[in-house]
Amino acid sequence: MTELQKDPITRSDFLGFGLIGTIMGAAIGIPSAAFIFSPIIKTNVLKQSDISPGWQEVGPVSEVPKDEPKFFEIEFPIDQTYGDREVQKQFPEAQKSDRGFVVKNAVWLSWKTDHDDSGHPGKVNRPSFLDDKSEGFSQSEIEEIQKNLNILSNSCAHLGCPVRWVIIEGEGEFLCPCHGGIYDINGTYVAGPPPRDMYSYVKSEVRENGKLYVKHEYDTKEGIPGISTQEPYVV
Amino acid sequence: MIGRVRSQVTEVNKVLVDWMEHRTGIVTATEHFLYEPVPKRGVWLYTLGSATLFLISLQFLTGILLLFYYVPTTDHAWNSVYYIMNEAYFGTLIRGIHYWSANFLLAVIGLHMAQVFFSGGYKAPRELNWVVGVVLLLLVIGLAFTGYLLRWDQDGFWASVVGMKIGSYSPLVGGYVINFLLGGDVVGPATLSRFFALHVWLLPAAIAPFIGIHLYLLRRHGVFGSEFEYTERLSKLHEQQRLEEYARYELEDEDDEGYEDGNGYRNRDGNGYRE
Repeated sequence: MTELQKDPITRSDFLGFGLIGTIMGAAIGIPSAAFIFSPIIKTNVLKQSDISPGWQEVGPVSEVPKDEPKFFEIEFPIDQTYGDREVQKQFPEAQKSDRGFVVKNAVWLSWKTDHDDSGHPGKVNRPSFLDDKSEGFSQSEIEEIQKNLNILSNSCAHLGCPVRWVIIEGEGEFLCPCHGGIYDINGTYVAGPPPRDMYSYVKSEVRENGKLYVKHEYDTKEGIPGISTQEPYVV
Repeated sequence: MIGRVRSQVTEVNKVLVDWMEHRTGIVTATEHFLYEPVPKRGVWLYTLGSATLFLISLQFLTGILLLFYYVPTTDHAWNSVYYIMNEAYFGTLIRGIHYWSANFLLAVIGLHMAQVFFSGGYKAPRELNWVVGVVLLLLVIGLAFTGYLLRWDQDGFWASVVGMKIGSYSPLVGGYVINFLLGGDVVGPATLSRFFALHVWLLPAAIAPFIGIHLYLLRRHGVFGSEFEYTERLSKLHEQQRLEEYARYELEDEDDEGYEDGNGYRNRDGNGYRE
């Protein structure tokens, strides 16, 4: 090595270069890295969601049949692009950006179904008054509906592919097309790679007009990679 | 008349080429970069690296062209791709080339790697070129992943969701990875901006110097398996084997002198006994 160095570096040179290099590297590197990685550093994703916090309409609950789930689409308005919220706060009179973007979520609604010991579906807890009326529910009827309704996100708990309802040998199940995760009609995990049950919406309300409304919040659990109370929903 | 013009043109060309060569050395550089002796057998296999380079160049060129119409916002991304595909002159061609050469790029990279692997082209002194090649492969995969979302159609959107969820399963850093890619709490405008920045600036800027290093190292050591290298290596190997053989005989001769038989023959064990 030594004979390759025409101009040998002394110890103090080396330390000097090291010090200057560190300072310059930090001056260039830290701001740009922090700039790029700011969503990791400061965005508290659950307390500062970009999704509009209001109720979104799903659909009339009386349309959900007795023995199979029904599919609905919801559109959650999202006021993202950074800055919108801050600009509105500082200049309330400024025109709000009208760039509308919605996150489309698909929802499966089904009635809670009891299963016998061998896993076959048994009693379906569909309120019987739904046969006669589809709106104008009383408070107790609304409570009964909310108690017995499964509100499931169609996003598979494994990698987020959309699950679909298939009927195999006379019995229905939610099947994920990607890796074959299987859930029963309540969204309970049955087989395949998913680490948990299907995601369900935790904030929901049935109104007097007979329609269901939800907020963009799911039952998250600790310890599931990517999905916990600290981490974002990719659903 | 025509002959005279032709000879004059040739003369002017020669003067120009000489002038350039004298000032930039471009002619020898071009020769150095373009021509490489390779064995006649399996000569097409040596074009896989060039094919990769060609496809990446196509990506750069068509990508620059697509930027003239593509708009990286959630409300216009799909529409601008639609405009490129249906309204802009030759839009189908330009985007088609970008799309198909991206697909073929990964296939050709696979073939290129296989060729280098099975021919042993990664061996000394070319190990670092293999390492640089793997970095290039990872960068190309990153480009393919980020480019998929930019279309902002159902296909690209959900494929990206699945890709990000796979990333979220990485040990220790899973949550950070997904926060970095999302830039928010759902796949939304911020995600599109980040993927656009990665796809159009960060990764191409990262890939360019590595391509340069890859080519420099290639030219420094030459294509593996050139005729010259084979003959030289073989003769070196034979020479070495010969020397080892001699050294062994000489050692044995020192151990037990004069045990040769009348014909100058020794059995292989060299212990002097006849078989």
